[in-house]
Amino acid sequence: MESHPTYATLATFLQQYPRTAGATYQTYNDLLLAQQWSGIEVIRLPSCERCGFRGRRPEAGTFTYVVPCSLSETVSIGWLRSALEEFGHPTEVYLAVNADDSSTVYYKLSMGITKPPA
Amino acid sequence: MASVKPPQSQGDSIQKKGGRRRDENNRIYANPLPITFSQVENKFAVTALGIFGISAARVLNPRCEGVFDPATRSVWITNSKDSMILWRHGFFGKGNLSRSEPSWLVRQINIRKAAGKQMTSEEVTAKRRAERKQFKLDRARAIAAAAAEAEAAFAEGRIISAEETRTSIPSAATWKPTPSIRNAVTPPSERSREEIDDLDAEPLEDLEHMQLTLPEAFFLAWALDSWTSSIPKRYGHAVYACTANVYIFMQLEPMALPDIWRAFQAAHMPLHLEAPLGHGHALRPDNPFLVNYVFLHHYRSLGWVVKNGVKFCVDYLLYKRGPIRPGSFPVYDDPEDAKSSPYNLPNVAPFTWQWLSTINRVNSQVQKTLVLSYVTIPALSRVSSTKISSPACFEEYSVREITIRRFVPARMRD
Repeated sequence: MESHPTYATLATFLQQYPRTAGATYQTYNDLLLAQQWSGIEVIRLPSCERCGFRGRRPEAGTFTYVVPCSLSETVSIGWLRSALEEFGHPTEVYLAVNADDSSTVYYKLSMGITKPPA
Repeated sequence: MASVKPPQSQGDSIQKKGGRRRDENNRIYANPLPITFSQVENKFAVTALGIFGISAARVLNPRCEGVFDPATRSVWITNSKDSMILWRHGFFGKGNLSRSEPSWLVRQINIRKAAGKQMTSEEVTAKRRAERKQFKLDRARAIAAAAAEAEAAFAEGRIISAEETRTSIPSAATWKPTPSIRNAVTPPSERSREEIDDLDAEPLEDLEHMQLTLPEAFFLAWALDSWTSSIPKRYGHAVYACTANVYIFMQLEPMALPDIWRAFQAAHMPLHLEAPLGHGHALRPDNPFLVNYVFLHHYRSLGWVVKNGVKFCVDYLLYKRGPIRPGSFPVYDDPEDAKSSPYNLPNVAPFTWQWLSTINRVNSQVQKTLVLSYVTIPALSRVSSTKISSPACFEEYSVREITIRRFVPARMRD
């Protein structure tokens, strides 16, 4: 992992939160290289002991927020709420669930009830 | 969604095209495991040895190198040639920037050329999704127009028959994507086109690697080897890596099999308990690596390709012959006998009917069969510490399956 070119950007953050280093690194690579997001910024989420990301999807104007987590972790509502707070209260956030074989699934979470898209 | 049948005159050529692709795939993916047999030239030797029941062909084990990454709990194969060998002979691993086969470089090259002649599976899906989105927009617009017309007609006192309304609203079978959609998907937007011109100057570096899960890597390193059960007694002195399929490196040092055994289990231990390579810390039979390995070994030996199933809300997917052949079986892994453990193994507690019904529904929607697979973990008292320090402990585990299908008596008469 350390020898990969994208590691340098994340090095300080991964060393600060080593428990979630794998999931964070995989999500970052997926967003940057596979999903081709632009302007990705790393945001510290101290209450969740990890870093989240803020970036723009291709062909989108607004920012999207992502919290990485691993498949083997348990997530709670309180944890997600504090993540939303630390992001600055966006309307919705994506939870990126990483598996050991590098599959990443994204779940969209919003505060309150949201109507599904048409 | 109903599929559109091609007119009869094109039917034959499509048949031939499909046949050719199938044959090509059968040739590329012929080997179910990365073991091939050498061709023996001397026919006499073949028959002479054949009388004694000995085969003259030698087993060729391609050597591949992988790097163990504890943070992501996986083994990375960065050499693209090795990745292709492992993928084509048994569908091992997954490209970390792709859905299955490492295709990131090809997609980037396609974007650069903006010709999109050879579409990867991700691009095909993207195209299909864009077309479906457009279809939904067209349909919504048509429904709104029909409703407005009905309102206007009602106001005038006319009556519009139901058939007329129905023909004006496109259905999935008759809708055709407009040319603007076809062009919209393949060429990139203006902003990225400028970037591409800049990038053309420099060659594209392949930033993708093939990622093997720890059980898959151990299967390739240990199970596809010429090891017999007597080896573990001498492991302190034997020489490894002579016929291993995958050489696993930690940083730059090649790892020996006992190190691999301990390190893979240590990767699952909570960080504050982790000692270097798990030395001095008690190994437990319910380590997630062991449980998942038993599962993988069981199904791989039976000829199934085992893949991660997080995209279908299940633990694993079993394919008969790789993702190319449809009709796979999601398998839910459910260990028993777990004593107090520091691991957060999933699905140990009995599950609810709601959960089971949900999973069953999701999977029948995508036309896959649900199989619950129970891995029985031996109790700590039954497994001695010497046994667990080597793969000999696997004989204490067992796997059994139950298939679940929804039965509706009214509809399933035949």
